[in-house]
Amino acid sequence: MKLSSHYNKASIIVSVLVLFAAAIIYYFAIHKIARNQLDSELSEEIGERIDYVNRYGKIPKKDFDESLTEYSKIPTADFPTRFFDTVYYNTREKTNENGRAIAALIKLNGENYKVIITESYASIDDLTQVITLITLVLTIILLFVLFITNKYVLKGLWRPFYHTLHELKTFNISVPGNIKTQTNKVDEFNELNAAVQLMSARVKKDYEHLKHFTENASHEMMTPLAVITAKLDTLIQDESLKPEHYDQINDIYSATGKLSRLNQSMLLLVKIENNLINDGESINLHSAIAQKLRQFQELLLARNITVAEDLQDKNIFASRSLIDVLLNNLFSNAIRHNIQNGKITITLTNDKLIFQNSGAAKPLDESLLFERFQKGQKSDGTGLGLTIVKNICALYNWQVSYTHTGLLHNFEIAF
Amino acid sequence: MKLLIVEDEDTLRDNIASYFTEEGNVCESCGTLDTAIEKLSGYNYDCILLDIGLPDGDGFTVLDYLRENNKNEAVLIISARNSLDDKINGLNVGADDYITKPFHLAELKARVAATYRRKTFNTNNKLIFNEIIINLPGRTVNINDTRIVLTRKEFDMLLYFIANKGKVISKNAIAEHMWGDEMDMHDNFDFIYTHIKNLRKKLIDAGCADYLKSVYGIGYKFSAE
Repeated sequence: MKLSSHYNKASIIVSVLVLFAAAIIYYFAIHKIARNQLDSELSEEIGERIDYVNRYGKIPKKDFDESLTEYSKIPTADFPTRFFDTVYYNTREKTNENGRAIAALIKLNGENYKVIITESYASIDDLTQVITLITLVLTIILLFVLFITNKYVLKGLWRPFYHTLHELKTFNISVPGNIKTQTNKVDEFNELNAAVQLMSARVKKDYEHLKHFTENASHEMMTPLAVITAKLDTLIQDESLKPEHYDQINDIYSATGKLSRLNQSMLLLVKIENNLINDGESINLHSAIAQKLRQFQELLLARNITVAEDLQDKNIFASRSLIDVLLNNLFSNAIRHNIQNGKITITLTNDKLIFQNSGAAKPLDESLLFERFQKGQKSDGTGLGLTIVKNICALYNWQVSYTHTGLLHNFEIAF
Repeated sequence: MKLLIVEDEDTLRDNIASYFTEEGNVCESCGTLDTAIEKLSGYNYDCILLDIGLPDGDGFTVLDYLRENNKNEAVLIISARNSLDDKINGLNVGADDYITKPFHLAELKARVAATYRRKTFNTNNKLIFNEIIINLPGRTVNINDTRIVLTRKEFDMLLYFIANKGKVISKNAIAEHMWGDEMDMHDNFDFIYTHIKNLRKKLIDAGCADYLKSVYGIGYKFSAE
């Protein structure tokens, strides 16, 4: 739920509760005031009756005024004046109505009379109804206004926040330039923006450092690797070496070769990820693949792998070195994970390039396949080959995907 | 051939020098930019192996010096950076070739030989090793008077072996030379054997002496001995 909805919910619940409580209090207060008013009116009327009795020495006629008056003789003189609620029969409207009554003692000629005057509550009820109605209408208007205010005013207030949020969502560490935030009137948002700016600048700087570190470290490793290789190349010239020494040297050669390929792959990844390669040219993919096929001929022959090709002419604009690496990796992958007497099918159309190869019967996990250092159990590769493929494709906005159909592993690049 | 090796890593420099030192080659070496310029101002060389990252400056300065003084040495750059780095891109800085660290000495030697051949192309378009006569521009090979037909890879391999004659070359070095070092293959280089066997057979069938020898499991040696 959005913050504004939370706020709306809370404010509406509180408003309704407060208004409801107010309405109850209001109702009772008005009722009490009105009853006091009625009581004082009734007292006045009793006074008028007593005055009449004292002046004329008789009980007044019934229709003294609109109020209902009853007289009755009582034996005792000990009768305190009291007010009470009652129900009476309205003769004009022929209905039972709620009324307020007063009972008092009138003395006439040594006899005690009880007098009860009843007045209708109707006028008060009308007043209460009108007040209730006004309160209700006010409540509805208030809620509506609150809702509209929250919806539009809050939306406007939160706009800088959503702008900053959008900037954060689209934040790409490898794209140069800082996060742009809007200045606004809300202090909290300004504070947030300042914090976001500071954080993004710091993250970018750290990333820059890391990038340079990776690049420098990889370059620095090249010279020691060159020394090891040169030493080995010199060592094998020694004719006094024994066969078992050659085995050891072979292993060192392999490890050194692997280390240097790993290093070069990491450097390449850093370069691709940082967009440092921009030597684009138009490349005929058909002839590039045909050339690679010739280059890998011997490797294919060694495992007796048959290659079926269906290549259309397709020109792409890309870095020649990267396309070279891309095809190298696709070919190496298709050969390395193939089986003896296996097959490879290469299809190039105007919108896609597909490498299919026979190999392990089980499909590979596509979610891990293109990740760094994910490699098959039997693989001697660096574990970066397909990551490089993925990154090269991403650089040129191509989609690379893996599927497993029948017994073939398919790697498809959609241009 | 007279060579100048400019490389600040002492052990690497010494190894390169010892690998290149043979009959007919003279190697001089230095480890700083200053001494390199000093040597170049006093002597002429056929080829310079130039490391780009030197302690007292950029190796490119040597190239500028050569251009300004109209010197015609072949230059092969040794760099820790590869073709994807802007710095080295295109070789339009005036070098004849470049090699990326780490490299095999056999590869370096083959590159130097090729660079040197290109520089002195007009006078020497034939490469002769005893009875093997290679016509470089035509890419043909004769054993005495018998023409043999080699595939492109076999031809390249023969040139590679001759450039490294008398040296044991590891299978790794051969594989990298023939199939490129980015090619992330198995450490199984058995397929090389088939190739070398074919080349050897073609040479012997045409009456050539058996110069190619297998050296235990490590590699091959092309030698007249």
